[in-house]
Amino acid sequence: MRSMLVSTIDALERFTIVEAASGFEALRLLPREQVDLIITDINMPDINGLELISYVRNNPNYQQIPLFIVSTESGDKDLEKGLALGANEYLVKPFDPQKLQELICKYLD
Amino acid sequence: MSVDESMGKAVKDFLAEAEEILDQLSLDLVALSDCADGGECNPDLVNSVFRAAHSLKGLAGMFGFSEIAELGHHLENLLDALRLGRVELDQGVVSALFAATELLGTLVRNAGLPEGEPADLSGVMCSINSCLSREPNKGQGSPLTRLNLPERVLSSMTEYEEHRLLENVKKGRRIYSIHVSLLLSSFDSELMELTEQLKQVGEVISTLPSASGGLEAGIDFEILFGSELGTAELSALVEREQLSVARLGAEETLVAPLPEDDHHPQLPTEGSVTAKSMSRTVRVDIGKLDMLMNIVGELVLSHSMISEVAARMRRDGYLVPAQELGKAAKGLEKKLSELQKGVMEIRMIPVGQLFEKMSRIVRKISREQGKKVELRLFGADTELDKLIIEDISDPVMHIVRNAIDHGIETPERRVALGKDEKGTITLSSFQKGNHVVIQVDDDGGGIDVERVKQKARELGVLGFGEDVGEREALEFIFLPGFSTSLEVSEISGRGVGMDVVRTNIAALSGMVDLENRPGEGTRVTITLPITLAIIKALIISTAGRTYALPITSVLESILVEKGEIRTIERKEVIQLREATLPLLRLSEFFRLSGAGESAESFYVVVVGIAEKRLGLVVDELIGQQDIVIKSIGETFAGFKGISGAADLGDQRTILVLDVGSVIGEATRGSS
Repeated sequence: MRSMLVSTIDALERFTIVEAASGFEALRLLPREQVDLIITDINMPDINGLELISYVRNNPNYQQIPLFIVSTESGDKDLEKGLALGANEYLVKPFDPQKLQELICKYLD
Repeated sequence: MSVDESMGKAVKDFLAEAEEILDQLSLDLVALSDCADGGECNPDLVNSVFRAAHSLKGLAGMFGFSEIAELGHHLENLLDALRLGRVELDQGVVSALFAATELLGTLVRNAGLPEGEPADLSGVMCSINSCLSREPNKGQGSPLTRLNLPERVLSSMTEYEEHRLLENVKKGRRIYSIHVSLLLSSFDSELMELTEQLKQVGEVISTLPSASGGLEAGIDFEILFGSELGTAELSALVEREQLSVARLGAEETLVAPLPEDDHHPQLPTEGSVTAKSMSRTVRVDIGKLDMLMNIVGELVLSHSMISEVAARMRRDGYLVPAQELGKAAKGLEKKLSELQKGVMEIRMIPVGQLFEKMSRIVRKISREQGKKVELRLFGADTELDKLIIEDISDPVMHIVRNAIDHGIETPERRVALGKDEKGTITLSSFQKGNHVVIQVDDDGGGIDVERVKQKARELGVLGFGEDVGEREALEFIFLPGFSTSLEVSEISGRGVGMDVVRTNIAALSGMVDLENRPGEGTRVTITLPITLAIIKALIISTAGRTYALPITSVLESILVEKGEIRTIERKEVIQLREATLPLLRLSEFFRLSGAGESAESFYVVVVGIAEKRLGLVVDELIGQQDIVIKSIGETFAGFKGISGAADLGDQRTILVLDVGSVIGEATRGSS
């Protein structure tokens, strides 16, 4: 499913995608990469997506980076929490590729 | 790759992965049904099953197997409810899970068949739904408020984590907040260690990261932890720098607390189950494989020594022990070569990983250059040593960049030339004997040989009155500081390219070749050995010096009479079957004195890489041996014709010939 996400963004032919296999990896990548947009799932092996959002939104270095949640989450509760924590948008899998592309353009243009 | 072929491969990939997931799923379900009898289920186990169903659903959806995806989805719903405590685990649920998994297995196996029977999902779906429709056992007021959880922690807990917290509280466990400050560079391993330690005595409920107070290189974590241990015990157990433990909601008794003198905290009995992981692959640091390979190399040397001792004993008349030792050495040799092969195979990865990187680069550069380029890939499953793939990434990237920069024309120009406005770059890879060939083809304008010559004259490498053939002219491109590009682009065209490419590939005992079709495109061919670490070598001597020749580049050895040598353009050649073979006296190449030039007959080792052949004149063929090539370091890097050094096992160190560069030097002419 993640590759679906990558190919959707790749199709815009404008962005370089850095993939993190886990929340920990994302934490390590953030200071190293110049990130313009973060897309995260909720369920991840180490820290959950909400925790990642909380980290990003409370860190002055990353606060301003737009952040989307893409998730299959059962409970809408988790998605709502994500938005409350400062996620900009959310998409529920299977997502509409065009919608994702539009959202990306909205935040990055 | 045709559509049919790629579909076939896709289905195969799907089957392999789906079957692996199902195997694990069945195993976990058995463990889960054991838990159901005890009425207590291990959250890690339920999660593992949930993730398996989830992956299977995603996978099936991606490959268009809608029945599997649908059933997977229902299974996932049930497991999710189980995970979140909305449904109690009992034998009814377990049997629904088993039935669903069994049906999934059938569906997956049918997916591999050309025409599978449409399956009836309704029965299984029905039993799943009936499990789901049971009233949720929630409702009691949340005791969580009494914990006084920090707002930040509470706000970032998922519904599942909240459920786990609640379960811990219900069980009468104490809830702790553990705060730890770590370095950003090493936090994951340290945190993993801490988590593992904690899991032995309780449950890690959530892990919230936060920016460390003002420290750029630091990261803090707040771990919510449920355990029966007392604060002092827990603090002692996890004691380390920058870590603090605080018990939450301690003022109030939440549920019946366990007596303080409870001597042995109950270790989770499901411990053995949690150790199971979904994946059956292991990630290994290549350094460890290198170390293993080195050990195998040393063993190979020890084996050579033993064989030699056996031979010496036989010569000295100790026949019986010599024979026994020889036999043992043979057995050792056999096992050693199996071990060597095994370690070598672990290091092999498909070239596709390299190709993947290139497709990103092609897209990026063609966009920057305003050119339209299609990338075609062939032979992505050809395997090569991981280290070789790493080392050729940059050279291949450079060649690809050159192809777009200098090769492929702008869309307007291509249309004017009557070509498709979209250029094509083809990356292909295949095995050829002991070598792997990687080719980069483009259908651009090719190389303007006249311009190359003109540039060579400007740089003074070619005299103004002089002229050379196309092959020689193309060789100029590999000279340091050579660039024919009119405008210097950001990435290629500064002339730092092709000479570095050639040097890097030569360092891997490989070769680069250029083929030019003016107006139609360029082909760059890279020929590489499959692996580097241990190679079979032919040991030869000339003028009293011993050298090793990688056997992969030796075609044959022949005995030549002095009278058979002819001279063409002041170069010695012999007629070998239908072809003329240029000769190179190694003693002259390395400017050694004392070679047996007057001999009436001598040995010629015919070596070849790609399409090129050369006969090396040597004094003696000593034999074949496995050698471990070691680098001779920066100091000697400039020496032509040497790729490294090897230990012969009798305390002698010899030089290993770089056949590619020897051939290159010899065919370029004696400079």
